[in-house]
Amino acid sequence: MTLNVDPVALRHAYVARVSRRYGVIAAVFGLLCLSFLLDITTGPGGYSLSTVAEVLFDPMSHGARLKVIVWDYRLPVAVTAVLVGALLAVAGAQMQTILNNPLAEPFTLGVSAAASFGASLAIVLGISVIPAVGPLLVTVNAFVFALCTCGFILLATRLKGVGSETMILFGIAIFFTFSALLALMQYMASEDQIARIVFWMMGSLSRASWEKIGLGTILLCFAIPFSLYRTWPMTALRMGEATAQSMGVDVGRLRVEMLICISLLAATAVSFVGTVGFVGLVGPHIARMLVGEDQRYFVPLSALVGALVLSLTSLISKTITPGIIYPIGIITSLIGVPIFISIILSSRQERLQ
Amino acid sequence: MTLTIANLSAGYGRTNVLQDVTVSNIPPGAFVGLIGPNAAGKSTLFKTIAGLITPTKGAISIAGEDVTQLGRKDRAKRVAYMPQAYGCNALLSVFESVLLALKQTTGWRVNDDNLDRVSDTLHALGLSHLANRGVADLSGGQAQMVAVAQTIVRAPDVILLDEPTSALDLHHQLSILTSVRNEMDRKKPVVMAALHDLNLAAKFCDRLVLLRDGAILADGKPEHILALPQIEETYRVLTDLERTQRNVLYVDARLAHEGTVGALHH
Repeated sequence: MTLNVDPVALRHAYVARVSRRYGVIAAVFGLLCLSFLLDITTGPGGYSLSTVAEVLFDPMSHGARLKVIVWDYRLPVAVTAVLVGALLAVAGAQMQTILNNPLAEPFTLGVSAAASFGASLAIVLGISVIPAVGPLLVTVNAFVFALCTCGFILLATRLKGVGSETMILFGIAIFFTFSALLALMQYMASEDQIARIVFWMMGSLSRASWEKIGLGTILLCFAIPFSLYRTWPMTALRMGEATAQSMGVDVGRLRVEMLICISLLAATAVSFVGTVGFVGLVGPHIARMLVGEDQRYFVPLSALVGALVLSLTSLISKTITPGIIYPIGIITSLIGVPIFISIILSSRQERLQ
Repeated sequence: MTLTIANLSAGYGRTNVLQDVTVSNIPPGAFVGLIGPNAAGKSTLFKTIAGLITPTKGAISIAGEDVTQLGRKDRAKRVAYMPQAYGCNALLSVFESVLLALKQTTGWRVNDDNLDRVSDTLHALGLSHLANRGVADLSGGQAQMVAVAQTIVRAPDVILLDEPTSALDLHHQLSILTSVRNEMDRKKPVVMAALHDLNLAAKFCDRLVLLRDGAILADGKPEHILALPQIEETYRVLTDLERTQRNVLYVDARLAHEGTVGALHH
């Protein structure tokens, strides 16, 4: 037989691996800070980093115009990119764990498509699912449709005989349904309305506001600690449902709890920025390759990578053609689809580092 | 601690699988083999003892305490159940997978004691060299050993192993059961294992329980149970019970003439 390493060496190897993981998390956090800074300094105005930094610490230092540009436009956009990236990635990571499916995320399960339809319903017909919301009509509609879709997914998982593969097929069915309904809305819409729908469908950070950021931050501050609190049962679920159950995990209850949490995250994220696909796929995928699936590291790192991806996307959207900001949904899809395909093709080729 | 199962009935929905199952006074450190054909109710009995199925009737007590009223977590602390082997594609190392089994019933933080217990368990089962291997990259035998480690690490009062040797080669069959026996010598848990191989059961178990159609046909020492005519009936074979030169029980089973097998039922 192979040599049997003594227990003390085993412990040390594990502790070393854990500290490496903290290193990885710190490194990604550093990259995120860098990307965030670049994001707020990049834009049509072409102000230097030092000028922007001065305005950040002293809003009126370079006049009212620069204060508006930095504080009311660039900063909300940059913060929203980080926040929504994190929300989508945490939602994706948890969906993948509870549905035991590496392809699950708000976009592939049809949540984004539902939100887009909800938005278009408000834009074209002025129909509100919740009365008297006033100017928030579009956002609220998107949120409600996204939440209902998550609810449907939750119900579907409770049905007998619905496996993880079936879930993705459900997602595709939801996606097709809402795409068709969205097409109907576009058919009925005026030119002006079509422009607004398209804006929504392609995903955009330009509707960022401090109120939305506040709400999103509160949600994230609830979701990440909750995920960490449930970290051990969630990690056990990765060993398979039967094994988790045998270890004393109430799998049914865990699924419901997590799906409610995920629904809020996903619905909030899509109602803020529209359809931004694959961030919930790319974030967790990269995090998994870096630190494995111990949820104590996997969930926070997924959030950081998701935030980094969307922050970089925001940066790219401004720098491809100076003066033009491209819709972020287009960019994330172009980055995400190759990764989506590589996940399909790799039958667990990746190894632990 | 002594395990007693008294008048236990349980099933799925309206289908009753177990009927009035009683296995009394299994002392600490005893290795009980649960034998019987497919669909005899072995897994159902284990799931009921582990608390995954709520019994319709009867009691399960450990050291005189009825555990059927305990919550899931408390139950899992006392009883560790290893289900039949399933594949798993998690990106977790063997060390992590054993640690997570321990962390289900201990506090959130990983402390030094947790790490020691995981390291010691892997060492005791001869799995140290696999500690940093991914669980998805293990062979069938290695995965089964890791599953055993996941149950042993929790140091429970009762360990239930559902077909621990299925799909394993001879070396791994013997090494798993030997590891379990060694562990029993150290910590004295009650171990119940569902076994298909009567010779393995004869070699490793202190007591055999023969289950068929959800009811217990016989319960006793291996040399008594394996010699019973019910064994031939239940498995629909003819058997001769012998002892090898090393004084180990050996069941020589063969298919009877078809008519003879049929005749056994009448």
